[in-house]
Amino acid sequence: MNDWTFRASGVTKTYDGGKTYANRDISLRVEPGEVFGLLGPNGAGKSTLVKQIIGLLKPTAGSLHLGPHDLVADPDAARQLCSYLPQAPMPIESFKVHEAIRLTGEIRGGDRRQIERRAGELIEALQIEEWRDTLGARLSGGVRRLVGFVMVTVVPGRLVILDEPTNDVDPLRRRLLWDQIRQLGEMGVGVILVTHNVLEAEKSVDRLAVISDGRVVAEGTPSSLKVADRGRLRLQLMLTPGVATPELPSLVLDHTRVGNNLVSVIPEEKAGEGIAWAQQLMSQGIAEEYALAATTLEDAYIRLTGELPADEPEGAAA
Amino acid sequence: MTAATTTYVRRGAGHWLAGLKAMLRWHLTSLRLVLPVMVAVQLLTASGLSIGMSLFYADVDARTGLFLGTGAAIVTLVLVGLVVAPQLVAGEKEAGTYDFTASLPVPRSASVVGWVAVSAIISLPAAVIALAISGWRFDLTFDVSWAVAPAVGLVVVCGTLIGYAVAHGIERPTVTQLLSQVFAFLVIGFTPITYPPENLPGWLASVHEVLPFYHMGVILRGALTQGLVTDVSGSYLVVAAWTVLAGVVTAIAMGRRR
Ligand SMILES: Nc1ncnc2c1ncn2[C@@H]1O[C@H](COP(=O)(O)OP(=O)(O)OP(=O)(O)O)[C@@H](O)[C@H]1O
Ligand SMILES: [Mg+2]
Repeated sequence: MNDWTFRASGVTKTYDGGKTYANRDISLRVEPGEVFGLLGPNGAGKSTLVKQIIGLLKPTAGSLHLGPHDLVADPDAARQLCSYLPQAPMPIESFKVHEAIRLTGEIRGGDRRQIERRAGELIEALQIEEWRDTLGARLSGGVRRLVGFVMVTVVPGRLVILDEPTNDVDPLRRRLLWDQIRQLGEMGVGVILVTHNVLEAEKSVDRLAVISDGRVVAEGTPSSLKVADRGRLRLQLMLTPGVATPELPSLVLDHTRVGNNLVSVIPEEKAGEGIAWAQQLMSQGIAEEYALAATTLEDAYIRLTGELPADEPEGAAA
Repeated sequence: MTAATTTYVRRGAGHWLAGLKAMLRWHLTSLRLVLPVMVAVQLLTASGLSIGMSLFYADVDARTGLFLGTGAAIVTLVLVGLVVAPQLVAGEKEAGTYDFTASLPVPRSASVVGWVAVSAIISLPAAVIALAISGWRFDLTFDVSWAVAPAVGLVVVCGTLIGYAVAHGIERPTVTQLLSQVFAFLVIGFTPITYPPENLPGWLASVHEVLPFYHMGVILRGALTQGLVTDVSGSYLVVAAWTVLAGVVTAIAMGRRR
């Protein structure tokens, strides 16, 4: 019996002769059966890491292992033992959905009967039956994404790598997709999942790493990353366009401004004072709206990266 | 839910053959929407070239007729591998779909051999039709020897590998596309295939002594006719050398991780 733990150690990628770092000294472990989230803003280096794992990019330094296999030295093993859903669209314009799934299953070394059975189960579970015979070129973006997921997981490797699988997928099917991602974990497969959707990740990943500027800035379970926010509330202000950041009262423990969004963190027991301050800013015309909410993983994310997560609504409703 | 996961790394001949079969299906299905058009375009081009030449050179002796009559078929066989693979790979790179294809768990060499077969599927029917039309227009009888199999095989493999080496060896898809146009231009206009090398300026004729394209024509004529060309074995050597070179470049380019 192999232990199929995935281990990255000191993984680094530089471009332009070492001047730009796409990622830097990344070390991670993903246990079999674990759904591991990779979060971080655009350009953080998430896709670079997953491409290094599957062997499309060669790390400038560091090592990548899956169980007994050295993935950098043996890219054939990497391609066979890892399933990979790229961030880019799948090349299936001229494939019917079921053909694309069956053929990738066979290329992944699956046996025909098992492929048929699991393809049917996944198609049903993701509610895409009506497109089973549709040509890839005629699929909507979200369905194409789901078909890509089925293609790469119909015969899953020991490590399934999904680069933004929920992009373009509608909310209902996103939930179904997350269920299937959890199922992969239950099958004992390790899953590395890149996403910008912090709230969904919070509910569905076992552990996660936040990557910013190529480095891992935090790693742990969703609740361990939220520890710092325990007993705090998020007070989010939509500032009037063009105004300077107002002076912050002492009750504000932490704040980040992105565009006209001012996200501040206040102690739970000072909720009343916080609301009063927000209302005062609104009456002065400095803010247009505010919202007070329990802290989520998003607040840890904002603190760690200095950016708002992608699923954050532009104007938070009061 | 039930699924068998990959638990070991497949290697060896069985895995390679399964990979070849799968990639052949993958390539053909990927081309499904364009393949009929490609075959048709090749058919039209090749037969157009044959008919055009027969109209232009209405009264020729048997020897010249034989030379002209084999020209269109040869241009087709040489050109398809050179042009189609670079165009398609460049297209994949531009659309961003190249990464997925490159991540498929098949031996790279099996994928390449699959492509060679696809090139043959596109070019062979057109070449055969071009020969038939020329035979009828110029009233020719070809003298096809057994050598036609290795000759056609080598030309298709060599052309496809050169195309593939360019497609994978050059990072920028626009450069690849430009180069494949240059190939087409070079082969159709400035290679002594539809005319003898004596018609070219001396320096260009000597360049073609080392390039593979003229020699591809020689080995194909050697297999299709009798006594029309000489030193066929020398040409085999040149084309074989280019095949090896292109194969090595392709292997390095495809094995290279960015
Ligand atoms: N060929 C290259 N040359 C130079 N820099 C590059 C190259 N490819 C990627 N980069 C840089 O590497 C960094 C990491 O890119 P990467 O695609 O990994 O980001 P990401 O975290 O996946 O972002 P996103 O969320 O937008 O998908 C980016 O700053 C990018 O500009
Ligand atoms: Mg990315």
